[in-house]
Amino acid sequence: MKWPLVGFVLRRVGQSLWQLRWNHLLTATTMALTLSVFGAFMLLQTNLEHLLKNWGEQIQLTAYVAKDVGSSEMQNLLERVKALPEVERVALTSQEQAWREFRAALGEQSGLLDGLPRDVLPASLEIVLKPAERDGPLIEQFAVRLRQDKAIASVEFPQEWVDRLALIVLAVQWLKWACGGLLFLAAFFIVGNTVKLGLLARRDEIAIMQWVGASEALIQAPFVLEGLIQGLAAGALSLGALWGAFAALRGEMPTLAGFLAPLAQPQFFDRRNVALLLALGSILGAAASLFSLRRFTEKWLASH
Amino acid sequence: MIQFQHVSKTYPPGLHALSDISFEIAKGEMVFLTGPSGAGKSTLLKLIFRAEEPSAGQILIDGKDITRLASRAVARLRRKIGLVFQEFKLLPELTALDNVALAAQVIGAAKNDSRTKAFALLRELGLHGRYDAKPMTLSGGEQQRVAIARALINQPMLFLADEPTGNLDAEAAHETMGHLLKIRDQGATIVIASHDLDMVNRYGTRVISLRHGELADDLRRVESGSAAS
Repeated sequence: MKWPLVGFVLRRVGQSLWQLRWNHLLTATTMALTLSVFGAFMLLQTNLEHLLKNWGEQIQLTAYVAKDVGSSEMQNLLERVKALPEVERVALTSQEQAWREFRAALGEQSGLLDGLPRDVLPASLEIVLKPAERDGPLIEQFAVRLRQDKAIASVEFPQEWVDRLALIVLAVQWLKWACGGLLFLAAFFIVGNTVKLGLLARRDEIAIMQWVGASEALIQAPFVLEGLIQGLAAGALSLGALWGAFAALRGEMPTLAGFLAPLAQPQFFDRRNVALLLALGSILGAAASLFSLRRFTEKWLASH
Repeated sequence: MIQFQHVSKTYPPGLHALSDISFEIAKGEMVFLTGPSGAGKSTLLKLIFRAEEPSAGQILIDGKDITRLASRAVARLRRKIGLVFQEFKLLPELTALDNVALAAQVIGAAKNDSRTKAFALLRELGLHGRYDAKPMTLSGGEQQRVAIARALINQPMLFLADEPTGNLDAEAAHETMGHLLKIRDQGATIVIASHDLDMVNRYGTRVISLRHGELADDLRRVESGSAAS
């Protein structure tokens, strides 16, 4: 595009933003509302994933050491397990420690243990896996491998919770795509219709530009640029609204999270998600403008 | 300059706007298209500036077939054509000067150059002192002169006018025709659609008549003032 035409486009955009400021404000607000709903889902997903990550860290395997394993062999076992690539960290609970913890857990009922030998409880390894290994089938495979070690009597892990965790992760993923896709489609048509109002207000200008030989790109450029600016403004507006809602609800989060409260540290978007929401707004505005403009000019030109 | 070869235009679901129209207009000619409302005058003009595509036949402008053109080629074609309408079609929020300059700016002229050209054209058309006036504050005749200046700014080889005097009083109408004659004398080809028979009889050296979408007459006026087929 020639430089005078770039100047022409920028002047037209500036004039239009000022002359049709209420129309543009209406469009930006409509987009901001849609982006806010979409952003709220993103925010929910971000926090849920964060919650799941923290929750996942609590899931660990317990490997009970065989009774006949001596203390030096137990240290070797600890080193062997530590060296496994799936393991993030591992802690050894000796028989003595297990006994003390059990007594403490029984509290006033600890007298029940009187007369029992202090080595009645087995020593155990508390194993936390690396995040990438916390998937249900992977944990099970790891448990099977551990059981093959002669120094290990049995392995336990909360299979039911692992399965539920995997299901929640999957549901969030599907919800994100299904709701995101539907909202985007709805927003596209809502914005497209709002853009049409602006186009109707400027139909004479479009027609005159067509009659005097302006290229299609030149006719479309100001509208697409306006859509992009509106989308960017809508993205910023929605971020502001979401931040306001987030700040207001942050204090209520521990109550809402219930038993998971210790794991729920509310988080707002990181830079990547802020950029994503702004980019989504811009693309939505520009694409909806272009789509409406093409349909409008085709229909309008044909009827005049 | 313009050749229509067996051109027809049919709108769905079968409305024949034009049927088998053939004629030729030479460079520098001034031709009136006449006929009652609905005869097909405006459709014929739209076919020339490619707002419409013919359903059948061929249209040649300056030897080039414009029947099937890509959108870029349509834009290039329109840069060679000046258009004037009965309703003037000026942008109300722009001044007279900016309305004219806009036509040059959209095809790549720098803002200052286009305004200088627009200024000269408006002065030539007797609108000195009205450069900064908005269309609503101008009379019908003045608005039509602004529209003519806008059509002239890109130095078109072809000038199309759809009922250019339809909204003007007699004095402004004759003034407008005077400007069109001047443009013709400078070498441009002019096609005017009009049902104003007084105007046609007074200025028409060639008159193409349409009736029910068909070519009814193609009359050329000889210098003595009589008409010959």
